[in-house]
Amino acid sequence: MFPIVAHEELAPNVHRMTVKASVVAEKAQPGQFVILITDEKGERIPFTISGWDAARGTVDFVYIEVGKTTRQLGALRPGDELAHFVGPLGKPAEVDHYGHVVAVASGYGAAAILPVLRALKEKENRITTILQAPDRERAFCAEELEQASDRLILALGSPGEEMTVSATRPLRKILANHPQNPVHRMVVMGSLCLMRVISEMTRPYSIKTMVHLTPLMVDGTGMCGACRCSIQGKNRFACVHGPEFDGHEVDGWDVLMARRCTYADESILQQSFQCRGCSQW
Amino acid sequence: MSETKETGPSEETGKKKVKMNLNRLEMPKQEPEVRRRNFDEVATGYTYEMTMEEASRCIQCKKRNCQQGCPVNIDIPDFIKHLQDGNIEAASKVLKAKTSLPGICGRVCPQELQCENSCTLNKKGAPVAIGRLERFIADWERTSGAVSKPELAPSTGKCVAVVGTGPSGLTVASDLAIRGHQVTMYEALHVAGGVLMYGIPEFRLPKEIVQREVQYVSSLGVDIHLDTVIGINYSLDELLNTKYQAVYLATGAGLPQFLRVPGENLNMVYSANEFLTRTNLMKAYLYPEYATPVKMGRKVAVIGGGNVAMDSARCAVRLGAQEVYVIYRRTRQEMPARLEEVENAEEEGIHFHFLCNPTGFISDGRNNVSAMELVRMKLGEPDASGRRRPVPIEGSEYTMDVDTAIISLGTSPNPLIASTTPDLETSRWGTVITDERGKTSKARVWAGGDIVSGGATVISAMGEGRRAASAMHEFLSQ
Repeated sequence: MFPIVAHEELAPNVHRMTVKASVVAEKAQPGQFVILITDEKGERIPFTISGWDAARGTVDFVYIEVGKTTRQLGALRPGDELAHFVGPLGKPAEVDHYGHVVAVASGYGAAAILPVLRALKEKENRITTILQAPDRERAFCAEELEQASDRLILALGSPGEEMTVSATRPLRKILANHPQNPVHRMVVMGSLCLMRVISEMTRPYSIKTMVHLTPLMVDGTGMCGACRCSIQGKNRFACVHGPEFDGHEVDGWDVLMARRCTYADESILQQSFQCRGCSQW
Repeated sequence: MSETKETGPSEETGKKKVKMNLNRLEMPKQEPEVRRRNFDEVATGYTYEMTMEEASRCIQCKKRNCQQGCPVNIDIPDFIKHLQDGNIEAASKVLKAKTSLPGICGRVCPQELQCENSCTLNKKGAPVAIGRLERFIADWERTSGAVSKPELAPSTGKCVAVVGTGPSGLTVASDLAIRGHQVTMYEALHVAGGVLMYGIPEFRLPKEIVQREVQYVSSLGVDIHLDTVIGINYSLDELLNTKYQAVYLATGAGLPQFLRVPGENLNMVYSANEFLTRTNLMKAYLYPEYATPVKMGRKVAVIGGGNVAMDSARCAVRLGAQEVYVIYRRTRQEMPARLEEVENAEEEGIHFHFLCNPTGFISDGRNNVSAMELVRMKLGEPDASGRRRPVPIEGSEYTMDVDTAIISLGTSPNPLIASTTPDLETSRWGTVITDERGKTSKARVWAGGDIVSGGATVISAMGEGRRAASAMHEFLSQ
């Protein structure tokens, strides 16, 4: 069993959970994920690691209450235990010295991108971060992102029609100054929609844009193939070949998004998850 | 109808004339119409009386062909003799001396190709139902509560790590524990048992039986660490450099293979691994009591002709599919699935389409599969496996409406361990290369099961485990 050592609400329905799992903490690297099961009848559900403390043997992640299991998680308190917790799964994010890195995050990504940014900072990159959130109250992790970046841009406002998203406005300005004020690399963590839109924006500029794909998973160790994504025409499994991929090499975003919603009607309780313009609704 | 034959004096039976009883007893099964609607075990097992009657058919021939036909060399004539004497406990001890997983073997071994194929009575077409007898003994022991345990050798002080808790790993763990070594098993999933838990469905192998046999192995002093991925949490070298004198790799099948045709990633196109893992390991058939769902359409195509394809098709029927089609590119004769499972599937109303192969999947406009494009095939020249290679017939393309497809084409090895262990030699398919006793290219490391074979049966994985365990024991005793 894996005891919960801390559990805080970051915004309405958004929580950070810290779990004692020294085996996971010991090997965790930026961009990796864990799979947990709440109890013996629970599902295996993946979360990107948002931080860890190898000395204390703890791992944390941020989740949004959207379905049955995340609601169940929301009701747990420090001292309660998770039945299973396995990780760190997936390949770590690529981190090197690139120069100017622009990061875009929304939702769970605001927390999950933090270890990646800190590692990029250690490699002496200049980091501009765009945080997309509906409003200031739900712009969680803004302070931590500010500390981890050279500049933080808040992009507030609900996603509008046809998948245009508020993060695109500040990014458009940044790209307008490229290559005078060059962007050497992009990292995006957020909804599939956001990652797709950002990838399409940077494609004409040939700026390498890393996205962190979040397809449905079952085992998370390369056995089931539920998380397969088409990358340059080849099937790649997000759990062992990813979850980080070059956004310009991802093909079949429509299919990826549809697959992500296979069980949305059954396990996702929030109507707002049903994005407008998505082929599934 | 009863049939008895007098046999003359023969090598097998000595001088005496023996009456051969050729009435092989069928095992009771749930009626197809009933079992299509539940996940309970299809074959309900022999009763005590049936067991005694079937056991009495064994002529105790001297050749012991059946034992030679068993990949783990069970002393079959001896346990049947004990049954004939009515001593089930003694029969159980004979079984347990060679297998720690009799309840599993009795159910899923292809006995018709092994022990029963070698049975002297098989010359008359009615081999003793050895598998059903084995199953009865295992079930009797489990329900009697008097689980017998072999005597453990005194502790050698040597530590062994077994990676993977499927049939091969469990065999090595119990063999080495009995010989006095301290064994630790590592399992990536949240329960032990590997393919016995995630792959083979409840109606063929109840999970309670798997867990009882796993518990039996742990009762021999084997530690089982769940939720631990070797290649991530510990590298193979870390295992070898810390606690363990030897390691056995039995990580199993790995990544599912796909057809590589357009539309294969559409919604409701499953790999058999995903579909079976949801259904069996995660118990999606009990959704919402269990939290993992599995979506099932009305008209389902299962692509492939192996046992996994049969399991997928039969799960689909039970999950409410109205029409289930098995699509196989060769003919019935080349199907790798066990005949018994094919017959069970047919009884349950599953349709078989032979000599056709999917060439693409078509979307309903919302990225859900709505139809499959196929081409008819014919058999050409034999390929490397000796089977005649299927070749497409030009101009024979057609489509078939389906709203669910399950791809069951086998797997390729999981790269996690090989990619973190540069000095472990692998084939170009990614399987681990070993000698005939399971020794890999890397010092102190053995391997067996699907990670070596690429995909075979439970019992062959156990047989490889048995051979590797004896080699490992020799090494540890040096």
